[in-house]
Amino acid sequence: MEIAVLIKPVPEAETRLRARADGTQLDAEGVKFVLAGYDESAIEQALLLREATPGSKVRALAFGPAPRTEEVLRAALALGVDEATWVESPAEGADDPGIVARALAFALARVPHELLLGGKQAGDDEEGLVTAAIAESLGIVDFGTVVNLRVDSATGSLTFQRATEEGVESWTAPLPCAIALQQAWNDPRTAKLPNILKSRKMPIAKIPWAEVSAALGEAARPRSVAERFELPPARTGAKMIEYKSPEEAAETLVRILREEAKVFP
Amino acid sequence: MPDFSLTPEQESLRDLARKFARTEMAPHAAECDKAGRFPEEIYRRGWELGLMNLNVPTEYGGSGLSVMDQCLIVEELAQGCGGMTTSIIANCLALEPIILGGTAEQRAQWLTPFCAEYHLASFCLTEPGGGSDAGALKTRARKEGDHYVLDGEKCFITNAPHASLYTVFATIDPQLGHKGITAFIVPRDTRGVAPGKDEDKMGHRASSTSTVHFEGVRVPVANRLGAEGEGFSIAMRTLDQTRTPIGALATGIGQAALDHAAKYALGRRSFGKPIAEHQAIQIKLANMVQSIRAARLLTWQAAVTIDRGERGSLESAIAKCFASDAAMRVADDAIQIFGGYGYMKEYPVEKLLRDAKLTQIYEGANEIQRIVISKELLRAYA
Amino acid sequence: MTPSILVVGERLSGHLTSATREAVGVALGLAGPEGSVVGFLAGSSLALSVTEFGELGVTRIRTREDPRLDAAGAGAIAVSVVASAEAVSASVIVTGGTEFGRDLTGRLAVRWNAAAANGVTEATWADASALRVRRPVYGGRATETRRLTGPRIAIAIRPHAFAEPTAGAATATTEPDSGPEIPDPLLAARRSEVAAAGSSAGPALSDASIVVSGGRGVRDANGFRLVEELAASLGAAVGASRAVTDAGWRPSSFQVGQTGKAVSPQLYIAVGISGAIQHIVGMVSSRVIVAINNDSTAPIFRVADYGIVGDLFQIVPALTKEIRRVRGLPAN
Repeated sequence: MEIAVLIKPVPEAETRLRARADGTQLDAEGVKFVLAGYDESAIEQALLLREATPGSKVRALAFGPAPRTEEVLRAALALGVDEATWVESPAEGADDPGIVARALAFALARVPHELLLGGKQAGDDEEGLVTAAIAESLGIVDFGTVVNLRVDSATGSLTFQRATEEGVESWTAPLPCAIALQQAWNDPRTAKLPNILKSRKMPIAKIPWAEVSAALGEAARPRSVAERFELPPARTGAKMIEYKSPEEAAETLVRILREEAKVFP
Repeated sequence: MPDFSLTPEQESLRDLARKFARTEMAPHAAECDKAGRFPEEIYRRGWELGLMNLNVPTEYGGSGLSVMDQCLIVEELAQGCGGMTTSIIANCLALEPIILGGTAEQRAQWLTPFCAEYHLASFCLTEPGGGSDAGALKTRARKEGDHYVLDGEKCFITNAPHASLYTVFATIDPQLGHKGITAFIVPRDTRGVAPGKDEDKMGHRASSTSTVHFEGVRVPVANRLGAEGEGFSIAMRTLDQTRTPIGALATGIGQAALDHAAKYALGRRSFGKPIAEHQAIQIKLANMVQSIRAARLLTWQAAVTIDRGERGSLESAIAKCFASDAAMRVADDAIQIFGGYGYMKEYPVEKLLRDAKLTQIYEGANEIQRIVISKELLRAYA
Repeated sequence: MTPSILVVGERLSGHLTSATREAVGVALGLAGPEGSVVGFLAGSSLALSVTEFGELGVTRIRTREDPRLDAAGAGAIAVSVVASAEAVSASVIVTGGTEFGRDLTGRLAVRWNAAAANGVTEATWADASALRVRRPVYGGRATETRRLTGPRIAIAIRPHAFAEPTAGAATATTEPDSGPEIPDPLLAARRSEVAAAGSSAGPALSDASIVVSGGRGVRDANGFRLVEELAASLGAAVGASRAVTDAGWRPSSFQVGQTGKAVSPQLYIAVGISGAIQHIVGMVSSRVIVAINNDSTAPIFRVADYGIVGDLFQIVPALTKEIRRVRGLPAN
């Protein structure tokens, strides 16, 4: 089975977010970019499927600027992914999801793929939009909030479950198919040191932005543009509730929630 | 080395060690410290990830890392637990004599199978009668045909109860002083080898330390490393390689103490504000971070010097001495910042002081380091 | 301006979801006095939700009657949505930002060649054909404002970020959408069964308006029950920190945090959770955060709005009791 995993560099969780001087975007200066937690799960899922279906290959693709995009692709290679493709974005990055999706769809045309795995990136909340858009470009179905993903080796189709408001749904889907993993339900492996060293020497196929934008034509012009990046007013710390007994604490809190915070019916 | 930034490869190595330290070592540090438990499952996992045998060349199945890269990893591991780190890097110490003093055949014969599976090894130099005065060791190696027979006692040997291999320093003739010292590879299952009971230590309690008795232990000549009388040189050259990572270990303990203290100072309040806003605390924190940063840079300088092929005795002695003294000061200050809570075992800082103390003693006591430093220093003026 | 806004309806047990209702509110706002809002429904047995659309003020509904679309996924539905959008000359398509809505919006970005955004918490016209939207990013730790350029814009709104419009009385008329055939690949997936959710005691974490989470402080699997009792008294969803799920006290589906679910309820109560950044990232965009912990220096108190320092084994049962009293529920 040909598995393609879509990954992306995101600021690590501990990053202190700051806006650029022009106030439009995150200030990426000094920010450490890493593989998102969800992407680690998507890669883990892909590697498990490869182990279950001999002869399978796992390829990672990422769209973004140097050097962070190459670095996450190397992290993916260190985890055991077979090949990596870097789809170059303009130097300052590209965050119009339509462009991201079309660029990756363009790259996927030259990478065999039957199963597309993408992670919801808690790092920047595209919330599955890109994976769905890529699936639309490729004319295939897509699903999110998937757990227990398996391949039925007899039929070559996928089985999985999704938890929704109605309950737990069981699904069967033929390949090709795109899955957006929205929850880290597997335990991603840690890359071993020798593989980290090896990954630095492995080739990464690069598709330059010039080629991508030529292929996209009109669609390469952003129609979703960042105007402002704001941090919430600093939370000044909790208002501590004083109390003499647990009952008093409870009464005070309930009253505050009703009258002051207005969250409680 | 004016540019102090790390390459992306170095960052990946550091991140691997950091993740292992945070997610697999640190959660068990307090429990192992309290019980004096040797967490074999954690050491196995470290081996699986390639974090052991860092100095062994890749052709033998090791990670083949430079001293600098080893230091990056060791500092991160030490932030997880100093004791566990000591046991993890003890293999490096034990195997270095084979790397430095062994023939190509000996290296292939011993290192390759050792690294292919999870194994621990111990470096056996110290004796009840001589630690700093290593040249006066008494363990005897008598030649009998194609064997040597070893008799003697070693003590304070890291990992000894769990090791499958010992590199042992014994003398073929006490009259020759340190020129009689010879190095041997001794498999654990050789008759007459008896590791002792795990010592009950002040710190590094997740690491296992004991005596090792050698009674009529027959060791083939083929297990001798280098020539007769070359053992002292092998031991000293080994310590030249391993001293600098100890500086990194001490730096890691100090960094952990600083992290705990700084976070605590921001949360704990007294006299109406976080204690981080009181000058007494600010001055302590300022001194702490200066010490740790200096320790780190001295360690890096020593590592880079050795990686260039120089002996680096001055640099590595300074690094180990400074970093271990710094770790003690910083751990002490951290406890003070925590106040009464710092004195309680429920909080993580008192362990750091107990762990820091050993770094001033082992791998060459700081008194010896100072003598080396002064000798090397004066040479430049002579 | 006379914009035409299409609202895609999603249904749960035959009724329009609250997210769809909120989407209607947004659409009405964007349409303004001169514009128009058209609803869209696909599947079978649409009558009830058509009526509900009408009650919200959406009187023209495009319908695609096709039972296959009841459980077909956003890709199949997008085919019809685009056909309807073209038929009504829509300039904006609004959907409730549930998993379906986010998925659909992604598909529309390409199928309808639209500027698209998910997780929208504010939407206003920047000019005659461009929308200005706000949305949380980086796990809710920041907010971005984006300009979406028309003539075609598709947005999915963040659940609970907008109010539902008040229901009135108005009748809706339907227009069947005969649209293009849905390509077979988009209908090839099959839903084989729907099993009742394991402990369906509360709402799903991702959409709940109140979440109560427990952390390491509850000490063990049994201690976690206090958290669940508090949640039950509030009709809240139950979450957990990674420490809890790693220890096996509750399944990983409970996990809120960087590698678990991100939630943004109106009220988040953190019980015995210290507040490691990996957890904070998953809940910091909650409107009001309450923390209960016996360690006054726990980092959670820096992001919480209200804090109680104390023994949760005393505080939480007292809180549960008080809430039940105030809500007129039986004592246990």
